[in-house]
Amino acid sequence: MTKPLDPTETAGLVVAPQLPDILPDRKPLKGVVGFCRRNPSIAIGAFLLAIMFVMAIAAPYLWTVDPTALAPSRRTRIPSADYWFGTDMFGRDIYSRVVYGARISLIVGFSVAILASIVGLVIGLVSGMVRWADSLIMRVIDGMMSIPPILLAIALMALTRGSVGNVIIAITIAEIPRVARLVRGVVLTLREQPYVEAAIAAGTRTPMLILRHILPNTFAPMSVQATYICASAMIVEAILSFIGAGIPPTIPSWGNIMADGRTLWQVKPHIVMFPAIFLSITVLAVNLVGDGLRDVLDPRMAKKI
Amino acid sequence: MLAFIVRRVIATIPVMAFVALFVFSLLYIAPGDPAAVIAGDQATPADVERIRQGLGLDRPFLVRFGEWLFRVLRGDLGISIFTSLPVSQLIAQRIEPTVSLMVVTLLLAILIAVPLGVLAAWKANTWIDRLAMAFCVTGFSVPVFVVGYLLAYVFALKLDWLPVQGYTPLSQGVWPWFENLILPAITLGFVYIALIARITRASMLEVLQQDYIRTARSKGVGQTSILFLHALKNAAIPVVTVIGIGIALLIGGAVVTESVFAIPGLGRLTVDAILRRDYPVIQGVVLMFSFVYVLINLLVDLVYTLIDPRIRY
Amino acid sequence: MDRRTFIKSTGGAALLAASGGLATPALSQGASNKVLRFVPQSNLANFDPIWGTQYVVRNAAALVWDTLYGVDDKLVPQRQMVEKEEVSADGLVWTFKLRAGMKFHDGEPVRAKDAVQSLKRWAARDPMGLMITAIQNELVAVDDLTFRWALKKPYPKMLLALGKNNSPCSFIMPERIAQTDPFKQITEYIGSGPMKFKKEEWVPGAKAVFERFADYKPRDEAASWLAGGKKMLVDRIEWIIMPDPATASAALQNGEVDWWENPISDLVPVLKSNRNIMVDIGDPLGNIGAFRMNHLHPPFNKVKIRRAILAAMNQEDYMRGIVGDDNNLWKPIPGFFTPGTPLYTEAGGEILKMKSIDAGKKLLAEGGYAGEPVTCVVAQDQPNLKPMGEVTADLLKKLGMNVDFVATDWGTVGARRAQKTPPGQGGWNMFHTWHAGADCLNPAPYTAIRGNGEKAWFGWPDSPEVEKQVSAWFDAKDLTEEKATIALLNKAALEDVIFAPTGFFLSYTAWRKNVTGITKGPLPFFWGVAKS
Repeated sequence: MTKPLDPTETAGLVVAPQLPDILPDRKPLKGVVGFCRRNPSIAIGAFLLAIMFVMAIAAPYLWTVDPTALAPSRRTRIPSADYWFGTDMFGRDIYSRVVYGARISLIVGFSVAILASIVGLVIGLVSGMVRWADSLIMRVIDGMMSIPPILLAIALMALTRGSVGNVIIAITIAEIPRVARLVRGVVLTLREQPYVEAAIAAGTRTPMLILRHILPNTFAPMSVQATYICASAMIVEAILSFIGAGIPPTIPSWGNIMADGRTLWQVKPHIVMFPAIFLSITVLAVNLVGDGLRDVLDPRMAKKI
Repeated sequence: MLAFIVRRVIATIPVMAFVALFVFSLLYIAPGDPAAVIAGDQATPADVERIRQGLGLDRPFLVRFGEWLFRVLRGDLGISIFTSLPVSQLIAQRIEPTVSLMVVTLLLAILIAVPLGVLAAWKANTWIDRLAMAFCVTGFSVPVFVVGYLLAYVFALKLDWLPVQGYTPLSQGVWPWFENLILPAITLGFVYIALIARITRASMLEVLQQDYIRTARSKGVGQTSILFLHALKNAAIPVVTVIGIGIALLIGGAVVTESVFAIPGLGRLTVDAILRRDYPVIQGVVLMFSFVYVLINLLVDLVYTLIDPRIRY
Repeated sequence: MDRRTFIKSTGGAALLAASGGLATPALSQGASNKVLRFVPQSNLANFDPIWGTQYVVRNAAALVWDTLYGVDDKLVPQRQMVEKEEVSADGLVWTFKLRAGMKFHDGEPVRAKDAVQSLKRWAARDPMGLMITAIQNELVAVDDLTFRWALKKPYPKMLLALGKNNSPCSFIMPERIAQTDPFKQITEYIGSGPMKFKKEEWVPGAKAVFERFADYKPRDEAASWLAGGKKMLVDRIEWIIMPDPATASAALQNGEVDWWENPISDLVPVLKSNRNIMVDIGDPLGNIGAFRMNHLHPPFNKVKIRRAILAAMNQEDYMRGIVGDDNNLWKPIPGFFTPGTPLYTEAGGEILKMKSIDAGKKLLAEGGYAGEPVTCVVAQDQPNLKPMGEVTADLLKKLGMNVDFVATDWGTVGARRAQKTPPGQGGWNMFHTWHAGADCLNPAPYTAIRGNGEKAWFGWPDSPEVEKQVSAWFDAKDLTEEKATIALLNKAALEDVIFAPTGFFLSYTAWRKNVTGITKGPLPFFWGVAKS
């Protein structure tokens, strides 16, 4: 390593890969099986995610009952043939809540990943391309980053009422700075690449420059970063519910099923356990996909030494 | 070097100013009324209004912001609305538990994660590597409070090896202090271990491909010496960076950990203050967090120069 | 030697060796017996019992400040700081003489002028105090130990006002502290009660510490609630605030704390199965759950629609949400007054016994419900309110009403419920709360039952009939008359639906077996509590 990493550049790379200079030459794929064999973590992750998606979409047909129907006379039942995952303190069927809860976690995770990527991309591009705006934007980003993301999300939730939309917005705002820094770092490095310098010298207009040379090269690190944001958003949703600043309890989400059951952790562990297992599997799946993508997209992370 | 530090410190001023303004305006538009909480359930709306006036909450935004800024510049963070104690005192009371938790977590995480990462890189693509990385992915995937409850249940309640909750100041002895921090530190460190181990592995893998390592190897330098002397030193920069960034992550996780283990730290102070709308406390704490963040970034930069003498500022 | 001690000694030795023997000696066994560690119901976030009237503040304040009178377990006010009182034959002039030799924690004697100033500050904030102030001629100190309260018309409930346990209690503070504006917070916590407040050890949100006041002179009578001799048998009381009930439960089982004020009922079976722990009902007066509808705005400005809710609701659902499976902990109340107390009545309560969604739907149709949204604000950070909110949401859904469920925190609910604007403009239609049973014994401290329109409690019910019965109660000469007026009041309050009671619930309190002397009452009483 001859050139030291500037910490302000790498600060965005919490778990993101080293920047690829150029996209790797991908070997031609020999069908899905070949791809899966070469990238087991993507395959496993995608498979688990697919199950969760199917579960979320088909929730009403998976032998569920109304996940919000209260029945206080049969509360805190342990798992049985009637209530596969038991019931919570209001007698709601935990199996149904968990199945429906997949919808919320997936919506929150993917919406935050997509929104944060888009907004972060725009901010990062402007910051990387427009010199005079850069220092201003970077100061703001620095300021935002200095507030721990969870605290920022809690504060934003206190501003508004608990709803799925607001939870998504709050987590997105907390995640944007990281994406913006990542993109800016990529842009700054790319600008110094000979071919980009050549393009600038040749009088290529900025929009064309961005479209042709910059954007394609941000894709790889961005997509990896997006999976990690997706995973972290699902966890943050659970933490917000835990603190009591999350999605309203009338909407079943894995976070608030756990938040409801946490006081009974000692006596009725099943209330927390089932949503925790599903949440962990989903986050694990997303992380696996992210790891797989990173291996595929980054040549220096090649498997063999 | 000194010039660099001075420049960095000066550069933090706009950051802090932004944070201050951001937090203040955030609070201004936030609904919620501390006066209503204080007045209690029996109070009439008129009582609540009088209390609000008593707290000075009925005055315009700019006046309040100006006053607050002026006081902060003189080193006065104001008085908590609820407790009528100085904010600086409330923060001071809670620094020790949080810093203790962070330091222990950090040490624990580094002690476990770095060797784990080195091992995984050395044994890359073996079952050891896969196991280590599987552990890391799991670490990212389990919510911190679930880990906390599990640990508390097994090690405190069932086995009765460690206390369930609380914090003992360091002044009352090292062991009582440490004993109370073990479970919270493992809980909080779980994600952090995963993070550092992965970065260490990635960074080591890259370094191990470099020519000089091959040279060292061909010269017959021992494996351990290659890993820990030659490679790790050169792989350290991303690791140090991620440790620095991770501190923001730690502060976030500390909120939950402190709740689960009833540790009187800054995370809980902040959440309580946000939920109760204790404005001066929120402002003070957030300002302090951003200050710490800036400080840590500075430290990380300085550590670079120690690790790699080629880096000069 | 148990495993924990073993770890302590070995691990401790290792660490000690490593740290060069930095540790200070642990507290000796004898000393720790005199420290009582208590987990209160919630955080002691401020400590001015007149300015802030949350129950937790009152409970802590009862240790530090003394009162002129105190109610005993029969709810009869008894002399506490007062030696004797005299009331003139026409009932207009009250003369009080304080006990001699009482001291504040700063060493100053308690004088009549301290009491006078404290009463003035209290009266500005207390419903009964305000009534007395409205008819007062003068409140003056006569000499060091005597003061006089002269009125324009008789106020038969004077001693109850001075000795009641409802917040704010008329705590006596030094004159200079009591001169603080009643709408501003005091910053010195000096009282003449049995315990001193250790301000320097106070970590709001985590810990509050009280230390025995050596110069406290308890009365000779046996202690009974706020009356009698408040003899402290421990030297130090530490309040440890635990936001997480699961943690508090584990700490009690491990012996890290001695007494947990309000264990949640679902955890009680675990505590009961532990042979070192005692569990019993804490406050026999319990609590009354409630949700209030906003009488100013549609749809609840129509009485039929409010009645529809009463007809359809099932209090059992609410109570199960709060107390769980334990049937000893709750009962339905077809009324507003605390069960088991003299004025309890079920007059007019039939509607709450219907529990019929169909009847509710019929009343909704008669009331002309046109699908207006119902903005229901629910505090998610309050363990008693969150479940009630969920039950209400379910109820409204079953009734076919259009629910706008606003999940937020108590701070926001507190602010929002004071808004009289329409729900769309920052107002509300519904919120949940609960009242301590001790506050619902009679109309005097029971602001929530009033029907005086714009001046009434949040929801602003306007019910002339309720108001008529409230004043009739204040003028009532004996219990029979009181009972008659309360029956009418209860009926009128249900007719107009002042608010919707969701049931009566009790809660447990739990302590380690080595702690003795814990009594049932509306607040935790620490006098007479010993630890062996």
